[in-house]
Amino acid sequence: MAPVNLFWKKYGRILLIAGLLCCSLNTATGTIPHFFTNEANPTSSKEEALRFIHEIKSVPASKHWPNIDPGPFLENIKLNINDPMSMYPGIGTNFCGYGALIYLLLHDDPLGYARFMVTLYRDGKAVLGSSLFEPASIIKATAGTLKFKGELDIRPAEQMFYLTLADHFKGYVNIFNRNYDPGDENTFWASVNYAKFNRMIRHTLNYKVHARGADLLQPQVGNTYDYITKKMKEGTVVLYLNNRILHKKKHEKIKLGIPTHFVILESISKVKGMITLVYWDYGHKTLREIRPEFLHKIVFGISVCEKKGKQ
Amino acid sequence: MKNKQLHILAIIITAVISSCSPRVISTKYYEENKLTLDSIEHSYSRLYKEKPFIVGFTDKNFKKISLEITTDSLTYIYDFRADEKRLTDTLIKYGLNAVLITQMISEMRSIRCTWVTNFDYFVEGEKKSLVFLSIKPLGLSRPFSNLRYYTITYFSQKQYYDKKGRLVNNRRQRQLQKLNGEIFKRINDNVSYTVSSTYR
Repeated sequence: MAPVNLFWKKYGRILLIAGLLCCSLNTATGTIPHFFTNEANPTSSKEEALRFIHEIKSVPASKHWPNIDPGPFLENIKLNINDPMSMYPGIGTNFCGYGALIYLLLHDDPLGYARFMVTLYRDGKAVLGSSLFEPASIIKATAGTLKFKGELDIRPAEQMFYLTLADHFKGYVNIFNRNYDPGDENTFWASVNYAKFNRMIRHTLNYKVHARGADLLQPQVGNTYDYITKKMKEGTVVLYLNNRILHKKKHEKIKLGIPTHFVILESISKVKGMITLVYWDYGHKTLREIRPEFLHKIVFGISVCEKKGKQ
Repeated sequence: MKNKQLHILAIIITAVISSCSPRVISTKYYEENKLTLDSIEHSYSRLYKEKPFIVGFTDKNFKKISLEITTDSLTYIYDFRADEKRLTDTLIKYGLNAVLITQMISEMRSIRCTWVTNFDYFVEGEKKSLVFLSIKPLGLSRPFSNLRYYTITYFSQKQYYDKKGRLVNNRRQRQLQKLNGEIFKRINDNVSYTVSSTYR
């Protein structure tokens, strides 16, 4: 590994925090006019996607992806189409932002997902939305080899997609570690900042994104619960959360107010002053009861994803 | 005379530093608490197979409990005070063995075990499990160090280690096998440890 790369890996975290302080004011606080959406009107259906996979029957082993066998690859795609909730970004990885993107794609356009994945496997490159994905050689060699990531170990197609997205999209959090080295799925190489997340959605999916929030500043939306409840009626809501508080990992007195996690909000309700959140992240839905002030404390970004062209 | 005193001082400092090294503390801690650690692992493995759950303490004083219960459709996350009756009520409500789990929680507290969880992994497509126990021993972290937790893993089968005692992926390739981004070291064939900045 080059000494410069080692330097950034060692001191990148410190420089990143300094960078965050400078950059957070300029991140995705912009708003795009939103349209009322009809989530029951997806771009394609699950049946169309399954028919597509059924018709191609099998694909030959790809020279581009040496560690992905076609059989498990197609099985993984079918699983994702049939049960998008089971998609699993892996234990300890920084793939949650990419997981949220793929979740949206699978719900809106499973056929587009299937076509993209088969093309990427067969040709080593493919177009999704307005983006051409042509992953680096090391990405192609690594996909299919990730281990000790839970169910992701046996999901070659998901490994391929997460690594491809992380290789393609870069935000300022990736400045110090732009090229993949083994183990980087757990590091800043795979991280997604808020502006990058919204950009990824706009460039790849059939959605408009109405984003409020930033990496260091919480959204000024008045009552957070009321705002989110209202936005749930307009489209799919992705929350950008401070996971250090939501899922504590250490007993620290001072908790940095930095969001690190993306979840798809499935429902939100309030009973007797307690808010019940149901959200999707790693492979399943989670229900959690929290106080309103806690909700306000953990939310740093609210992205409303609405289908394009809907009034 | 002065030289002799300096030598003695140097020996004492070296002894203190080496006795506090993560390696010594972890293996020593494991040997001293083996019975309780094995008992927690045994109980948890058995109970997890009946119904998946994760439990741990989210505060330094071991008074706040986080409980995650996984059902077919949802994972429920609850926070309780350790003495709260709601904890037992919730365990019963979801069909978990409240008596054994509360006993296990007491054992965890007795050895400052912060977190216990299950971790699935795959060997040639076959699903295997390991149990993670995180411990926060008193006064063992070095000043200015963020390494505060000892994580002990119980594998269901024998593992491979390199000459330095580090966990490797298999006998042939012998590449370092990180778990949760951490390098693990051998305690015995099935048990390894790491020193970490986080408990989960």
